[in-house]
Amino acid sequence: MKKDPTIVIIDSGVGNLWSVLKAVRRFAPTAFITEEKEGVEAADAIILPGVGTFKAGMDGLVVRGLVEPIRAAAERGVPILGICLGAQLLLERGYEFGEHEGLGLISGEVVPFPELPSGVKVPAIGWQEVVPTDLQSAMLFAGIAKPFFYFVHSYVLAPSVPGTALAGTTYGGYAYCATVGQGNVYGTQFHPEKSGEAGLQLIQNFIRSI
Amino acid sequence: MRVIARLDIKGPSLIKTIRTEGLRIMGDPRVFAERYYEGGADELIYMDIVASLYQRNLDFEQLRNVSENVFVPITAGGGIRSVGDIEAALRAGADKVAINTFAIHHPEFLTEAVERFGAQCIVLSVEAKKTSDRKWEAYTDGGREKTGVDALEWITRGVRLGVGEILLTSVDRDGTKTGYDLELIRAVANTTAVPVIAHGGAGSAEDLLAAAHVGADAVSASSIYHYNLTSLPQVKEFLRAQGTAIRI
Amino acid sequence: MGTTPTGMYGLPTDVKFCKKCVISNQAPTSAVEFTHTAKTLKNTLPFNEEGICDPCRAAAAKRDAIDWGKREDELKALCDKHRSSDGSYDCLVPGSGGKDSFMAAHLLKYKYGMHPLTCTWAPAIYTPWGLRNLQRWIHAGFDNYLATPNGRTHRLLARLSLENIFHPFQPFIIGQKGLAPKIAQRFNIPLVFYGESEAEYASPIADGSSAQRDWKYFTTHDESEIHLGGVSLKELKEKYGVERGELAMYLPTDPEQVKEAGIEVHYLGYYHKWHPQGAYYYAVEHGGFEASPERTPGTYSKYISIDDKIDDLHYWTTFIKFGFGRATYDASQEIRNGEITREEGVALVKRFDGEFPERFIDELLGYLSITEKEFPKAFKEFEHPAMDREYFMQLADKFRAPHLWKKEDGEWKLRHHVY
Repeated sequence: MKKDPTIVIIDSGVGNLWSVLKAVRRFAPTAFITEEKEGVEAADAIILPGVGTFKAGMDGLVVRGLVEPIRAAAERGVPILGICLGAQLLLERGYEFGEHEGLGLISGEVVPFPELPSGVKVPAIGWQEVVPTDLQSAMLFAGIAKPFFYFVHSYVLAPSVPGTALAGTTYGGYAYCATVGQGNVYGTQFHPEKSGEAGLQLIQNFIRSI
Repeated sequence: MRVIARLDIKGPSLIKTIRTEGLRIMGDPRVFAERYYEGGADELIYMDIVASLYQRNLDFEQLRNVSENVFVPITAGGGIRSVGDIEAALRAGADKVAINTFAIHHPEFLTEAVERFGAQCIVLSVEAKKTSDRKWEAYTDGGREKTGVDALEWITRGVRLGVGEILLTSVDRDGTKTGYDLELIRAVANTTAVPVIAHGGAGSAEDLLAAAHVGADAVSASSIYHYNLTSLPQVKEFLRAQGTAIRI
Repeated sequence: MGTTPTGMYGLPTDVKFCKKCVISNQAPTSAVEFTHTAKTLKNTLPFNEEGICDPCRAAAAKRDAIDWGKREDELKALCDKHRSSDGSYDCLVPGSGGKDSFMAAHLLKYKYGMHPLTCTWAPAIYTPWGLRNLQRWIHAGFDNYLATPNGRTHRLLARLSLENIFHPFQPFIIGQKGLAPKIAQRFNIPLVFYGESEAEYASPIADGSSAQRDWKYFTTHDESEIHLGGVSLKELKEKYGVERGELAMYLPTDPEQVKEAGIEVHYLGYYHKWHPQGAYYYAVEHGGFEASPERTPGTYSKYISIDDKIDDLHYWTTFIKFGFGRATYDASQEIRNGEITREEGVALVKRFDGEFPERFIDELLGYLSITEKEFPKAFKEFEHPAMDREYFMQLADKFRAPHLWKKEDGEWKLRHHVY
């Protein structure tokens, strides 16, 4: 791991920043929140949280002029971890309240849950077991004996390139992607900063890999 | 199913009411929050139960402090009246906010909040008091103020306005440890398209199971944990052994 | 009152609010109700030079200066002296089954091994939860005598109290205070225990430092000084057709009889650190006590004084006469007991004090109306026998002390408030 990396957490106006910050700071005390492109440009690693709608998330990045800086950082090989809406924004497009363009760092789309069995409610809220599918996922999920994570979402990640779905989960009998990863860019549909010890371990794994 | 511990707050203290009355101090909220997190609570609810009554805000600094070593979702409520309040709560460590009093008087606020923060962030908190057979009235201001609003109708309306979850508290059962108002939970859970968190009256792990069986998506309790009648690990193990899907 | 300038009711015209709680210096202290007429001047709550009211000073003493261990020893000695050996009644606990009387009786029986009889003076109009709480008290293990006065007499007296002294609660107070000595005499019970001491909220410090209560509140030697509803016994008979014999439940006891019977009245609050909210939890946990389903009008609380619908009017008439209402009382009590801060109390007073009691008002106005059929003689004495909202509000205006109220743009406004 790079010694004392500069880890930034992007504030795009939609997010539970304090939760993410305190989880990250357990392993990287100098991590900080930024909404400025200078912060993104100087980062050794970027965390992109988000809570809310796809459109609101992208608008928040657009209005702060962060879209290009994030894409450039990905191009430079800067590790990026998107969380929940942040993970969804990494994909090419999303279909929440209309069609909206995403950051396009990972191929694929963000789509609604299909019709679920009666009694199964959306948004999906709660803890679900996550099963890593890929060798590439070993980095993020190393050392996690009980991979239960906290989900709260109405739209799901649908990556299109084989091998970019790093882990799966099920809800109401429907199996879907819990984690995406392409190169140095990762995204978890669940909230590691809200998933107890398992989540903290995942964050630590990510930070160690920088 | 989620097993939730709820903290009711007044000023600097964790308190426990009975039928939403009384201010008995139980201790330091931070100590209890950390104990419940470490004990395996799937979520915490942090509710300032006098904020609306005293017409003030919950203490966001205190919330930040209490949540510092807690890494499971926190739903915070109490006197939430504006977009600014919601933002402040989220920045202080809340993942979701619960809204009751202000929403009943200004239902359009719910839509505004949902559009700004997303449905999954906005929980409609309903304090339901039984008025007659299968009828409940919604109360505000910490279970003190009548509204004349039918609780079930209000919940339906809240869901239409976009909220992502319902926190359903029985005013009659709160703090009594005589079991949840199962009729209430059943009536709401069966007709509501979003998850329902049941609260009010749990006296034992069996009570939590009963609530699950009538459709609660999550079971919340306070007295049984605060008074050490049982613990979160014990409760979760019991529920799991009974066949409920539980995170261990 | 010395040289302090006074206004209506003999209240001090210089209105002050306690620096620690939220009560004002207009608060009347416990009165001898059966001598109370329209001309009676009030004794009001004393404040010291630092602007602190007596009950707050008593609360501070309660917290800091009292050796509760010693007090409990005194109680144990008192109980040992009077405890019956065959299970017969050795003490009387008057009350409603509210949190205080519940806890008092329960402690005496289950902690101190006494054999209490309980007695209750019926509310004018029971709230459903009030009646249920009485039942719960009984089912927690106590014999109880419920004394209910003749409904018509009680209504007439309430109406007269309202007209003459704007105090519809007076007949209740008179009957309630007088009941205990009568029952104690009848059953030869030498010891009467109340819960809280009135020093906690209504009486000067002097009243609280001894456990016993002055007999003047419910005994008298002189019948000519007796007035019920502000009306003398003579007038009650001549104008309103109420015979002396019909007033037995209200007439105070002959103090000689009480003295002979050796009856002592004590406050448990003298021996045991009384905590009203603590009593609420105790009553729930030991007897299933039920708080009111909604807050009482004029205040925020659901656990204080909840068994009589006429309470709603009582606190509102207090607001009219003295410029503060129920929220002030409740908040002051909670401030003294450390439940809330003064700032929180002020916010509550601002929000709730003086709120008009809509919830039962129609029923109460009906209760206070005099019909010719029910009251053939009294009916003629009233210009306005039926009580309706308009007349009620007009009547209220006669009792607004000018040093407390002013009219602004056709609306009544308080000259002073704590906020």
